[in-house]
Amino acid sequence: MVLGVALGVAVVIAIDLANASASRAFALSTEAVTGRTTHQIVGSSAGIPQEVFRQVRVEWRLRASAPVVEGVGIAPALDGQPVRLLGIDPSSEAAFRDSLGDAGTRNDLGVFYTTPGGVLIGPGLAEQGDLQPGDVLTVTVAAREVGLPVIGVLQPGDGASAAALDGLALMDVGQAQQVLALGDRLTRIDLILTDAEALDLAERLPAGVSLVPASAQRDSTQELTAAFQLNLTALSLLALVVGMFLIYNTIMFSVVQRRQVLGILRQLGVTEPQMAGLILFEALLVALGGGLLGVGLGWLLGQGAVRLVTQTINDLYFVVTVRDTSLEPLTALKGLGAGVLASLLAAAAPAWEAATVPPITMSRRSAFEARAARLIGPLALVGLALAGIGAVVLLAFKALLLSLGAMFMIVIGLALMVPALTRLLLRALARSLAALGIIGRLAPRTVTNAISRTSIAIAALMVAVSVTIGVAVMIASFRSTLINWLELTLVADLYITTPAAGGASGSAALPEGVVAAVRDLPGVDAIATIRTLQVESDKGRINLMITDSQERRSIALYRTASGDPDTIWAAVQGGAVMVTEPFANRYAVAVGDLITLETDRGPQGFPVTAVYYDYGTESGRVLMSRNVYERFFDDRAISGLAAYAAPGTALDTLANDVRRALAGTALQVSINRELRDSALTVFDRTFAITDALRLLAVVVAFIGVLSALMALQLERARELATLRALGLTDGQLWRLSLLETGLMGLSAGLFALPTGAILAVVLVYVINLRSFGWTLELHWDVWTFIQALAVSVIAAVLAAVEPMRRLQRHPIATALRQE
Amino acid sequence: MKTWRNLFLGLLILTSSVAGFWWWTRPAEQAALPPLLAAGTSAEGFARALAPREFVFPLDHGPHLDFQTEWWYYTGNLETDDRGDRDDRGDRGARYGYQLTIFRRGLTPGATPADGLRTNQIYFAHFAITDVARGTHRAAERFSRGAGGLAGAQGEPTFAVWLEDWRIEALNADGSAVRLRAQEAGLSLDLELRSAKPVVLQGERGLSPKSSAPGNASYYVSYTRLATTGTLTLDDQTVAVRGESWFDHEWSTSALGPQGQGWDWFSLQLSDGRELMLFQIRNADGSLDQVSGGTLIAADGTTTRLLADDVVLEPLETWTSPRSGATYPIAWRVLIAGHGLDLTVRAQVPAQEMPFAFTYWEGTVAVTGTANDQTVMGFGYLEMTGYLGSMQGVF
Repeated sequence: MVLGVALGVAVVIAIDLANASASRAFALSTEAVTGRTTHQIVGSSAGIPQEVFRQVRVEWRLRASAPVVEGVGIAPALDGQPVRLLGIDPSSEAAFRDSLGDAGTRNDLGVFYTTPGGVLIGPGLAEQGDLQPGDVLTVTVAAREVGLPVIGVLQPGDGASAAALDGLALMDVGQAQQVLALGDRLTRIDLILTDAEALDLAERLPAGVSLVPASAQRDSTQELTAAFQLNLTALSLLALVVGMFLIYNTIMFSVVQRRQVLGILRQLGVTEPQMAGLILFEALLVALGGGLLGVGLGWLLGQGAVRLVTQTINDLYFVVTVRDTSLEPLTALKGLGAGVLASLLAAAAPAWEAATVPPITMSRRSAFEARAARLIGPLALVGLALAGIGAVVLLAFKALLLSLGAMFMIVIGLALMVPALTRLLLRALARSLAALGIIGRLAPRTVTNAISRTSIAIAALMVAVSVTIGVAVMIASFRSTLINWLELTLVADLYITTPAAGGASGSAALPEGVVAAVRDLPGVDAIATIRTLQVESDKGRINLMITDSQERRSIALYRTASGDPDTIWAAVQGGAVMVTEPFANRYAVAVGDLITLETDRGPQGFPVTAVYYDYGTESGRVLMSRNVYERFFDDRAISGLAAYAAPGTALDTLANDVRRALAGTALQVSINRELRDSALTVFDRTFAITDALRLLAVVVAFIGVLSALMALQLERARELATLRALGLTDGQLWRLSLLETGLMGLSAGLFALPTGAILAVVLVYVINLRSFGWTLELHWDVWTFIQALAVSVIAAVLAAVEPMRRLQRHPIATALRQE
Repeated sequence: MKTWRNLFLGLLILTSSVAGFWWWTRPAEQAALPPLLAAGTSAEGFARALAPREFVFPLDHGPHLDFQTEWWYYTGNLETDDRGDRDDRGDRGARYGYQLTIFRRGLTPGATPADGLRTNQIYFAHFAITDVARGTHRAAERFSRGAGGLAGAQGEPTFAVWLEDWRIEALNADGSAVRLRAQEAGLSLDLELRSAKPVVLQGERGLSPKSSAPGNASYYVSYTRLATTGTLTLDDQTVAVRGESWFDHEWSTSALGPQGQGWDWFSLQLSDGRELMLFQIRNADGSLDQVSGGTLIAADGTTTRLLADDVVLEPLETWTSPRSGATYPIAWRVLIAGHGLDLTVRAQVPAQEMPFAFTYWEGTVAVTGTANDQTVMGFGYLEMTGYLGSMQGVF
């Protein structure tokens, strides 16, 4: 029991720890790079002209202003770890960034300004790379390998900024422009402004750049991961729910087992509240013990979870380096609180039971079961109602949190129906089992007679298994949808991309000359370019993708469109844009709506002509034709290149030719198949943590079944001894026991099938859509269900082994004498 | 017994909270980057001032990137312009001193890369206004990189030096007339300066040794009397002013010798039409370096070089800065017997310390005394460095 609480709490804490660590690392790194900034001047991800900074600072006299150049490099020597390159101007800095303040005072600024590519690195990076001043940190950035001489190690003032300095390489803003090949452009300008100054400045800014509150930038980035983190939390709570069944089961068992003692206590004058208090106090002790154990266990699990969660965040959202996974007291308290609350909740029914039963019935053995049997019907009705309410909430409300709550309600509602369903099922099976003789007649009755405990074990196992089914179906659906989509979209033969941190594709510009070099290769039939960047819009900062591809897109890629693929493409050539499904969902954009982008020619509205399926980024994307882009933007850079091979060309050979042609750059050349595989690798990595959670739920359920059965068998020791005395052989005893648990496992498995299916549908069509904005095709795999059924039966049968062995060791006489 | 202990404890708590509060609320340090100046940037590769040279103007008013250190120093004494509109206070003849200096520090010799914000030039500037009547001295400091149009200097086509919106721009071709503009919170000036005299080459034809060892010298040119008109603003009160300014332009790579501790430097404009530039280099052991001296500029602009033995500088009074604790001589007797000068130079306001990346005293002074037994008066500026720590390596 303690173990059950511990596991439940551990899972909650592990996930919370992972989420909190990732969020904190993010917050710290933003704090380190934004400091006391109130506003920022930003442009598209191509940057803003440095002349804007001169205007802001000199002409408009906004002296609390600092130019910033920021980028991410990858350190091959550090296992491809991302390194944040932050370029600052020391003479503008003082008001902004505390944690970097030491950079200005402890190191030789002359060296800082003038060493080409010179960096001050955080202590973490120095330690990992064994780097000292004088060494060179090699990173891949903007498709080139760059050696960054280490000119110093930043010494943080306190623990908090130590974490903020993780993965950071600080350099002079001018040197950073060189390293990131930005020319005369900056990433952004940080400002400390009053509201009046901000209003005034916003009006003066030239086209193509805009003023945003610093918090908006921070929030929108952090918002990206909110849905992901919420989903993880929900899953971790499911583990706790399974644990709750366990606690209920155990406490109820202890009440039933001690009914005599409790009855005597009642007779001796212990009042009802005292009795309830006693039981609840027991539960509290157990919860605290289990909770504390769970905190420790959760911390251990958390170390792994942090890695998985961070990996996913790096893959899908933004680069964050987490090294600090210390357990915040709040996280520990939250987990402990959840454990205690769940325990008390689970103990409420047994406590009530113990308190309200008249003393005389309390000592009677069958009284409790009789009461329980009467409750089965109403309980099922409550469960049905709960599930019904859940379904209504799910349909009526769009909020993610409510949807998750509704999903819980449905699951718990269905679980409450388990006792009634078990009785029905076993009654139905009773006849056919009777054919097996005495054993076949005994087994279902034993299960139904102890329904207050058996059904709890069954319900716990059912919930765990159904979660397994639901999640597995969801992942399989996602994966098959992704594979279909990749087939439809990866139509070119070779892809040339810039390497970027994590699995995300980079938006760094390709070096000049790459396009010509690839196009002119023999064997290359045609090429298409894409440019990915971020621009400001009326919806905030959004992803924009520019393509000059002429390839006709499959109709299957369009979710809603204003016509057939040819008309759509013609419209896009004429100035319309397409948006991805997550974009449409996130910003409530439909075909025919206008999206206003901050272009280099000022704000410009673009009509949406189609919404297309895309699983590339959950924050959504706007797709624009290159000829349109060049009318409104000055940026001519290219982020990626797709090449179509001439018929009859071997792709491997061609890929090698391209690699040779691009020697000296750090560009990645992949054949479409490889790109597909790497996309799937990222996918699998993303769901690693979901899978791990799913397994944990099963483990918790298994422990639940085991303890329930053990309790049951031990309680029945006398009964079984009687049977043995009456001539039941060891073999028959085994068969009886296995049949009983097998029946329980079967019930759990059978109930888990529809519940799992319902969960899968909810996860795929509701939770995923509301969390990430994309539609998945439900992909049923019969094997998932067969496996689930098998797992529940096997788990149940296995759980019977140990109690049986223990029982066999007891001499019949001792067992008989027990009472 | 107990009462005493409680009293003692109470006092202790009181004192420590007061001390803590003082510490907490102590004036914030200026945004200073001391290593910028003390930076161990080596002087290697930079040219040194070794011998007199030809000067070409306006080119030589501009920057000399082969040298590590350079400054453009404008100081002046002004009074409210009673010919024009009266100022808000209705005062007549209220006196002010001002200083606007832009410093350049080369990190590596030679030109700045043209692209992006990369730079090998750091500019910093000091701006101060002294209100003599009120006894106030307010000062500001700025830093900037010499790139992206943020800060820079040029000799051609016309002379200009700027650090953000603190700007010095020539009004004529040879740079003998300039417009100065600077503003900081509650403090600004906009002045036109026109030189009545030709450019003065200080020291030996513009080469000004700063220690007995060769190479520890600067090139040093001045406009010693610039007629000045314009406006000053102090806390939203703008006053029209007129008066006289002084311009020094100096560049070097290693000025002070190894013994040098600091210097006292005088720029005095006398009522008889003459100007006097005097400096003495104080060594760490308290002695004066033999290169100390100056220049006497006659009313017609002809110059006479003064050597160490020609000048006696005698401190008369001192003032201790409550902020830094440094003690500065704020009144001097200046005796130049060979030219019949016996002057008393006195700070118009004692508290004119510049509390910046390096701390020094720079302020307006009034002159009284005799020239060949005739009464002579005047105003000027006095700069005193090295009273808090050695200026060694700073310049």
